[in-house]
Amino acid sequence: MSVLRRLIPVAARSTTLLNSLKKNAPRAFATEVTETPKETRPSFRKINQSSVDQLKDFGRYVAECLPKYIQKVQIAAGDELELLIVPEGVLPVLQFLKDHHSCQFSNLVDIAGMDVPSRTNRFEVIYNILSLRFNARIRVKTYTDELTPLESCNDIYKAANWYEREIWDMYGVFFSNHPDLRRILTDYGFEGHPFRKDFPLSGYVEVRYDDEKKRVVVEPLELAQEFRRFELSAPWEQFPNFRNAKPKETEEVKTEKSKK
Amino acid sequence: MSGIIKMTTGLTGLAVANNPHHTLGILYSKILRTLQKMPEDAAYRKYTEEIINERANVLKANKDVDVVERQIGCGQIEEVIVQAENELILARKMLNWRPWEPLLKQPPIEQWTWPPAQSNPKH
Repeated sequence: MSVLRRLIPVAARSTTLLNSLKKNAPRAFATEVTETPKETRPSFRKINQSSVDQLKDFGRYVAECLPKYIQKVQIAAGDELELLIVPEGVLPVLQFLKDHHSCQFSNLVDIAGMDVPSRTNRFEVIYNILSLRFNARIRVKTYTDELTPLESCNDIYKAANWYEREIWDMYGVFFSNHPDLRRILTDYGFEGHPFRKDFPLSGYVEVRYDDEKKRVVVEPLELAQEFRRFELSAPWEQFPNFRNAKPKETEEVKTEKSKK
Repeated sequence: MSGIIKMTTGLTGLAVANNPHHTLGILYSKILRTLQKMPEDAAYRKYTEEIINERANVLKANKDVDVVERQIGCGQIEEVIVQAENELILARKMLNWRPWEPLLKQPPIEQWTWPPAQSNPKH
């Protein structure tokens, strides 16, 4: 229950929050002026540490409830909770997050894919879900390779239908038990999966209108040599301050499992 | 019902519940019975029983629906019913999935590292 209480949205607890604020108001505002270090980066998004702590607690809670499926829990980009799960656990984890009383992540916002050819399981599939009840978003990540199918979560989230078709079209990840797994974005008769890293930038075929045949013809791509030079680097440097900056470290949340 | 009959929940597709105490009582006892079949030390069982018992106690203690809604603090009573229905379906599925067992398999090394390693040890 404690996790539920902590996750209860601001709306439900706003009265108590407001009361404590009113009581301490003079003091709170006084300390705020004197003690806060001056923020020199005006455009940077500030991270609310208390909501991050709530998310960490929630991550631990889910990992404790589903030890069979959750490999790792981490906080990415400062305040985004990610659950990294085994590919077999997609359905149980999503069903738990959707239906459990203290989760209620009833909306599937997006399913994304990622291709990292150097890994044994080169594809990552990422589910972004949203809980309107608790005003929280989390991300569920799993992995697969070219041949292993993932379970389709179309029965849990109706929104998954088109998103999974998109992943299938762009990456060629197969979803088993999907009611209608067809291409969705590419042209009729298209071959290949364009978001794979080994798919050439210019594609395999070119299309042109043929005056003699009076129709559009599709031919294998023939590029003159001067068109094969892709100048991708700009002559000036856009962000010299960030030349060697690493992305913000992901922070692993310690669960019961990782302690052992 | 405090004299005034509730006309609508204000939510599309969610009808007003006529006898929420009865419906919720049945749902909660069904959930608890399903949870009984899980092992004692399963975290899912422990936490869910805690939540359900707390809500069931609130339900038993108060006749007035408004008070129940306020004390549970999770939306209108109709939404609470939907949540209980979801939990029941989930609990029944959990019996098959058995998520309290140890981890199915460890991730391959380098699976969750970022930035990714440049060379594949397999090749």
